[in-house]
Amino acid sequence: MSLWVDKYRPCALGRVDYHREQAAQLRNLVQCGDFPHLLVYGPSGAGKKTRIMCLLRELYGGGVEKLRIEHQSITTPSKKKIEISTIASNYHLEVNPSDAGNSDRVVIQELLKTVAQSQQLETSTQRDFKVVLLTEVDKLTKDAQHALRRTMEKYMATCRLILCCNSVSKIIAPIQSRCLAVRVPAPSIEDICHVLSSVCKKEGLTLPQDLARRLAEKSGRNLRKALLMCEACRVQQYPFTSDQDIPETDWEVYLRETANAIVSQQTPQRLLEVRGRLYELLTHCIPPEIIMKGLLSELLNNCDGQLKGEVAQMAAFYEHRLQLGSKAIYHLEAFVAKFMALYKKFMEDGLEDMMF
Amino acid sequence: MMSKNSSRRKIVPTKVTDWVAPSFEDFFGNTNILSSTLLVKSSGEANQHQKRKDHSSVPESSKNKVLARIKGKSSSIDHICDHSKQNQSQSQNEPWVDKYKPGTQNELAVHKKKIEEVESWLKAQIFQRQPKQGGSVLVLTGPPGCGKSATIQILAKEHHVQVQEWTNPISLDFRKEDFKDAFNYESSFQMLPSQAQTALFQDFLLRANKYNKLQMLGESTEADDKLILIEDMPNQFYRDRDSLHEILRRFVRTSRCPLVFIISDSLSGDSNQKLLFPKEIQEELCISSISFNPVAPTMMMKVLNRIATAEASMNGEKFAVPDKSSLELICKGCSGDIRSAINSLQFSSLKEYSSENNLWSRKKGKSTLKSNTEVSRTKKKKRADKTLENQEILAIGGKDASIFLFHALGKILYCKRESLSDSEFPRLPSHLSEYERDTLLVQPEDIVEKSHMPGDLFNLYLHQNYVDFFTDIDDLVRASEYLSTADFLCSNWNSRPTLREYSASVATRGVIHSNTARAFAHCQGGMGFRPFHKPQWFLINKKYQENCLAAKSLFSSFCLPPLCLQTQLLPFLAMLTNPMRNQAQIAFIQDVGRLPLKRHFGGLKLETLTDKDLGMPGFENIDEGDLSAMRPLEVFVQLEKNQINETEPDEFPLISSQASGSELPSSQPQPITAQAIMEEDELKIDEYDSD
Amino acid sequence: MQAFLKGPSSISTKAPASKERGTAAAAGASGEGKRLKPIPWVEKYRPKCVDEVAFQEEVVAVLKKSLEGADLPNLLFYGPPGTGKTSTILALARELYGPELFRQRVLELNASDERGIQVIREKVKTFAQLTVSGSRSDGKVCPPFKIVILDEADSMTSAAQAALRRTMEKESKTTRFCLICNYISRIIEPLTSRCSKFRFKPLTDKIQQQRLWAVSEKENVKVSNEAMSCLVQVSEGDLRKAITFLQSATRLTGGKEITEKVVTEIAGVVPKETIDGLLSACQSGSFEKLETVVKNLINEGYAAAQLVNQLHDDIVEREDLTDKQKSIIAEKLAEVDKCLTDGADEYLQLISLCAVVMQQLTQNG
Repeated sequence: MSLWVDKYRPCALGRVDYHREQAAQLRNLVQCGDFPHLLVYGPSGAGKKTRIMCLLRELYGGGVEKLRIEHQSITTPSKKKIEISTIASNYHLEVNPSDAGNSDRVVIQELLKTVAQSQQLETSTQRDFKVVLLTEVDKLTKDAQHALRRTMEKYMATCRLILCCNSVSKIIAPIQSRCLAVRVPAPSIEDICHVLSSVCKKEGLTLPQDLARRLAEKSGRNLRKALLMCEACRVQQYPFTSDQDIPETDWEVYLRETANAIVSQQTPQRLLEVRGRLYELLTHCIPPEIIMKGLLSELLNNCDGQLKGEVAQMAAFYEHRLQLGSKAIYHLEAFVAKFMALYKKFMEDGLEDMMF
Repeated sequence: MMSKNSSRRKIVPTKVTDWVAPSFEDFFGNTNILSSTLLVKSSGEANQHQKRKDHSSVPESSKNKVLARIKGKSSSIDHICDHSKQNQSQSQNEPWVDKYKPGTQNELAVHKKKIEEVESWLKAQIFQRQPKQGGSVLVLTGPPGCGKSATIQILAKEHHVQVQEWTNPISLDFRKEDFKDAFNYESSFQMLPSQAQTALFQDFLLRANKYNKLQMLGESTEADDKLILIEDMPNQFYRDRDSLHEILRRFVRTSRCPLVFIISDSLSGDSNQKLLFPKEIQEELCISSISFNPVAPTMMMKVLNRIATAEASMNGEKFAVPDKSSLELICKGCSGDIRSAINSLQFSSLKEYSSENNLWSRKKGKSTLKSNTEVSRTKKKKRADKTLENQEILAIGGKDASIFLFHALGKILYCKRESLSDSEFPRLPSHLSEYERDTLLVQPEDIVEKSHMPGDLFNLYLHQNYVDFFTDIDDLVRASEYLSTADFLCSNWNSRPTLREYSASVATRGVIHSNTARAFAHCQGGMGFRPFHKPQWFLINKKYQENCLAAKSLFSSFCLPPLCLQTQLLPFLAMLTNPMRNQAQIAFIQDVGRLPLKRHFGGLKLETLTDKDLGMPGFENIDEGDLSAMRPLEVFVQLEKNQINETEPDEFPLISSQASGSELPSSQPQPITAQAIMEEDELKIDEYDSD
Repeated sequence: MQAFLKGPSSISTKAPASKERGTAAAAGASGEGKRLKPIPWVEKYRPKCVDEVAFQEEVVAVLKKSLEGADLPNLLFYGPPGTGKTSTILALARELYGPELFRQRVLELNASDERGIQVIREKVKTFAQLTVSGSRSDGKVCPPFKIVILDEADSMTSAAQAALRRTMEKESKTTRFCLICNYISRIIEPLTSRCSKFRFKPLTDKIQQQRLWAVSEKENVKVSNEAMSCLVQVSEGDLRKAITFLQSATRLTGGKEITEKVVTEIAGVVPKETIDGLLSACQSGSFEKLETVVKNLINEGYAAAQLVNQLHDDIVEREDLTDKQKSIIAEKLAEVDKCLTDGADEYLQLISLCAVVMQQLTQNG
């Protein structure tokens, strides 16, 4: 039994539920015969991967959907062995180079070289290039990106790249200029409602409009999340009611409670407890940036207008440090401490004002 | 030159005496002390080859101090001497380290149990050997001067075991042609000095194994068993460990006698033992390892007393027995190194120096003493009263004492201060008055340095424990910001080695300065004893990385980027009732996808930092950002094993998709087979014909 | 270097270094195909001779003289991308040497190749030391020197650059160097002093439009006037970018007319309405509104760096802000840009930026 997300994923460009114009343009692209390198970007859960798979299907037909997981082993010049897993079909290869951490440059060079140098045996598809799909290219190191650009030039003839990422800010300009950039924005709330309704219909369930709307809004325009939430709702309680409780992920609830803890008391002891909670989140695989963002949004809910601006700036400052530094806990804790102090002062000032 | 002294010697070997003329004969004029220009080894034991070795390994410090007295410490073989111990007058200039060498087990300044351990190993190897048993290897480690060589020598003597020892050849006999060859790129036969050394070493091992030692005069011939001792490791092995391992393997297979390595470790830096004998080799070759502790102060005192009284009884007029407190001071200043202590004693006993008395209490304003563990706790309370009392080091013989981490942290966090006398320093202007502090009595940079920890590691300890010492949240803000800045400083791996110390400096000073509750000398008391804990960060981070890897490998069929996987898929999977294919997946989901919402914090144990803990040598190479190269961290924080560890991150998922494949429409990106783990080294992407 | 060995047509894929959009046919380097491979328009319409180079008069004048027999100095071309630096030198080399000798006499290395010190010492040096004759196979006279083209020289390490200086001097009899870069400050002083510097100006809108109209006519592409001016605007003086956008737009529209909307989509430019929306949210002083607007921005997928650039242009032009306000905002923009390149989270940085903007805008209000 697979998740609804995967079950009802559209498999052809003509059948996507939203951004239809863009899908038509992509179809034109395939038909014009002059297929460039692509850079597909957009927020998470917007449907980039789905559209890429549909595109591949347009290019190569149904054979793209027979996938295998393979594990490759690559040796770096410094004799270190890297293992990387790829997902491949007969016509394309998908790999996440940032799996290799600091050695992603080697992965790109070696893997792409091998793919590009192996000629396409399959002649009936009328394509003389293979496609390599690279995911999470915005997490590549700058070295790797330069290597990528070099490789793109070299092996243009036999191999096309489709790069997939969340944001192009971290992609260097030469790569951006060598690719056709396709922006996949997040679906609108109506789009999501529509998708949810149709999925539920296919599952044979009735979904009240209000619930659909609430789900769409709660998901933050992330279709994957919305579908997962919907499925969880079904597990929780069916038949659906409009005012049903929407299940949240555990860590979000935990984060909210942490924020409440911070707001309720601002002392060193409380900071220690918060530290413990942050550690707990980390061991449950929640990356520190997400913790920071989540904490910020919860804390902002508890703050007043003028405080919000300052808190937001602090969050940006410490998150930047977090990215550059090596131990996230320092920066998370510093942010929490700063917030506590600010909040405390704010409350005290507020009290004073009230006294007069 | 020598002949005038020949009257003192029992033998009259006019030829075979000192081959080296004493160069400083007239240096000190006509003091009596210099009456004997001869240095002879007077110990009653038969002079064996290893004596030489002992000398060469005596620390430089003693050589420098005892300068001209110790003449004729030649490396040549002039000790035909069979002097008995009674000939003390000639042995005046002998280093006491050798003179009062321990002769029996009782005289050893090593803990009884340790001696027993070594003894039992020795007995097992020598006396209870199975026939056809391969050679066995023992590695003795410990700080310098803690009695390793002495123990072996004594045990060997007691059990009548010969000791054959290896010394590094000082100069290899290079002929000119060899030399040219060595640097000739084209020549295929390159005889490099290093190779010559290893070849010699290997030769030595082989021969020592097969043949007995040459008989020295005065040795008994009864000893049949022998053991091979290596203290002076050829340098090449530090660079090329594999050759050492090869030689060892061969040795273990073919040898008939045990092999003992003695390795002195320093407190800081990589442990040599770990470098040379990594765990795999230890397991493979069944190498036993016994680690010696630094000499306990009580034992050291005993030995010093013994020597002092012996000397006093012999040369009363020249030697003044130092009083108890001075002896204690010597003990303290030498960090468990008994050789150093004895040398200090000897040097300080010189009459002309001891009278000046400035040896004993030269204040340097540093607090570097390592104190006894039980003593420290009680002393802590009294420490507030004593200001400079514990800050003396011996001008001579005071080693670069290191302090335990526990104390280092305490010094930083308790940050003792002294009130400013008014005239000394200009005060801060009034608008900065909140930054006014009394003088710090501790030097944070020194403390970090003496704790022998890299800066960023020290910061972690600080971070774990600093919150307890703060009462005001505003102070905490500043302190945490300094810690954050300190981490930021170390971010660039290029500049990390240099910036580490600055990072520690920023962090320690930041924490000290931010603590307004301890800003002045008068408000320093009342903290009581707080336990310190080891940083949890390592374990947390390790777990984070492991869990991420596990998630990726277990759920790779979903083809999601890690962020989505971790923050969305897993938590929701935990709520759904989809039958998962894999037990491991289910376990993982339950563990990671769900958070303990009801439970309050307390799930992560804190591990207390004890007095004995030194630095963590293995940690410096942690590459925290490198997911693909997760090395097993040598974490000594032992949390209870979480059941997550059942899923090994490097196992590949056994996703059997037979059940799933049929149910899904073809658009579902489900993998058909999970390919087995790569066998070949190079990259291989298979080309398949289409079906 | 590979390109160098393969032949002229493949040089063109490597030569236009930074801003080229790679496309399928990469100029026949892949050998036989079943169909005629489409060539990127950037290559197709690259100037073939020095005269065709648009708009860079001084450079063209000097180079023309060398065509007539005068000596060529060491050259340093610098300026914004897409202004014709590489095209110029390639055209010159082609004219000087003719197609046969071209391969022998020209060594081209750009940032994609290995250009470390080792390569400089070996390859370049060896090439530079070869002697050349003074006449062509078809009888015409050809200059007795070779040309080494170092494209994107500013990304060479300074050590590699230093290794170059000596070679430049020693082999000046038989070899001329041409360095191409975007920022002259990244070339070390000894090198710049050995070369004649030529600044390539960014093309004016008029010239760009001219060229673009010419290309679109030849390729039979319908472009609306607004789209054309939009095209010129988004490419910011970079002709290569403009042509590539044009080609991509053609691909996506599949033959229909290219509208302004398509152009902005391809260029990834944030529409003006969005920026205005953002600024008005800042003006309103309500943080909640700001949060929603920024969230929407992120959800739309716009690149934060692009947003920062456009916001900057907007703010600087505004009349209703005092200089002080503008300067504070500009400083924050610079910080945010730096943080974004360092990899910080976009949402947080944008919110923080907008908070500052909001603060400044509402201060005097």
